[in-house]
Amino acid sequence: MKDGRWSVWAWRLGILAVILGAWEYLTGIKVISKTPGLYWIDPFFISRPSVIAQRFLYLTSDKVRLTIWQMALSTIQSTLWGFLVGITTGFAAGLVLGRSDRIARIFDPFIVAFNSLPRIALVPLITMIFGFGLLAKIVLAWSIVFFIVFFNTFQGARSVDADLIHSARFLGAGDGQIMRTVIVPSTLAWTFASLTPSISFALIGVVVGEFIGGESGGGLGYLIIQSLGTLNSADMMVALFVLGAIGIVMALGIRQIETRLLRWRPEYQKR
Amino acid sequence: MSTVSFDVHDKEFVAIVGPSGCGKSTILNMIGSLVAPSGGEILVDGERVGPRAGKQVGYVFQKDTVFPWRTVAQNIALGLQYRGVATAEVRSRVTEAVALAGLEGFEDAFPATLSGGMRQRVALMRSLVVNPEILLMDEPFGALDTHTKLNLHAELLGIWGARQQTVVFVTHDLSEAITLADRIVVMTRRPGRVKLVYDVKLPRPRDVIRLRETAEYLREYGEIWHALGEEFQERVS
Repeated sequence: MKDGRWSVWAWRLGILAVILGAWEYLTGIKVISKTPGLYWIDPFFISRPSVIAQRFLYLTSDKVRLTIWQMALSTIQSTLWGFLVGITTGFAAGLVLGRSDRIARIFDPFIVAFNSLPRIALVPLITMIFGFGLLAKIVLAWSIVFFIVFFNTFQGARSVDADLIHSARFLGAGDGQIMRTVIVPSTLAWTFASLTPSISFALIGVVVGEFIGGESGGGLGYLIIQSLGTLNSADMMVALFVLGAIGIVMALGIRQIETRLLRWRPEYQKR
Repeated sequence: MSTVSFDVHDKEFVAIVGPSGCGKSTILNMIGSLVAPSGGEILVDGERVGPRAGKQVGYVFQKDTVFPWRTVAQNIALGLQYRGVATAEVRSRVTEAVALAGLEGFEDAFPATLSGGMRQRVALMRSLVVNPEILLMDEPFGALDTHTKLNLHAELLGIWGARQQTVVFVTHDLSEAITLADRIVVMTRRPGRVKLVYDVKLPRPRDVIRLRETAEYLREYGEIWHALGEEFQERVS
């Protein structure tokens, strides 16, 4: 078991080293040696690991107005807020509509219409209403996360085993107790399945918001757009790597919570 | 189902047997208020059964209805918690029930790690721990292998002997009905009617294994089997 884990990590690091090495090497070959410009693979477009590392260090230093850490913090903050508000509202709405056929029927066309709207198209409007700051980004992330969580929770709430509800009733449960001890725990398993995609979509929403939001919104999306303006692919790469790292950490965090809360499920029973 | 009428006495163990589709489970569901009768009435203690089951009725389903997100102890505690019993008392009664069902050591296990027989044991104790006056059981051991089934028969008889609840037990397994019940309601095939109500005269306490070798058991089995066999024959012809 332990050997297996070591070899997996060795492979991962090996592959990463090969990719970075090839990247660094290939972007260094010139068509005519020692002449500036004219590369086989031009680092102007995809930069080079060594340059990216330098830019990263520069962006963490106090020589810049806005360090990469501040930008990452802004992105993380908006993502987490959009995610949290999105899952709570999405869960509540999914639960209510999933348990009431009537309300579900009434709201159905509105939900389908709003959900089929590409959320990116809302960015200018959201920016107009909520300004260029943190709030607009949170609203954008929320508008995506809400629906993902909502639809999963809705399905989950509809597929609660009727016999479990009956048996709770025979054990003396009232409506509130059935909600708390049967419907919510049973639905949560479905809701959790939507959390991993939700966090990545929240991140997408936030970054898109930052593309438009300008400097006052800060964030890594701002760094990317600013680098586009200055044709600086190294800075873009720095932003992308940091975004990737944020994505990994958040996904791991969710997996932790999931394993803990869903430890009753057979797939989490293996120790 | 057509007209069906039978009485269940207080603290009596009644089994309902009959061909599948005859409405055995429907009768149980009507007593438990899961289904409203299309005509006629069901009286419990002289009062008509309403749209919601009374708190004195317990129900054990054939299907596995143990809550998978709760541990064994938490499942057994459910009924007591719903009734607002104090935590300390819940704990002591659950411990007692766990011991009674032979589930010691599994209190904190989740149902996914248990066998079908153990899960059904949890479901049974969960219903019994609140001391229902009437216990409805719909083929609760139907999905279990013979060995596990016999063990659970013995346990159920032991518990029932101690607590003396009124039990209505639906099954398609005639030997199960004879082993457990005081009286057996034999249903006809669809549309279900009561074909006969048979008094089981086997003495209690019963030994679920030895019982099956006794002459009385075989004679009673033969008599009911004959009645049931007529139902199967009519279907074939």
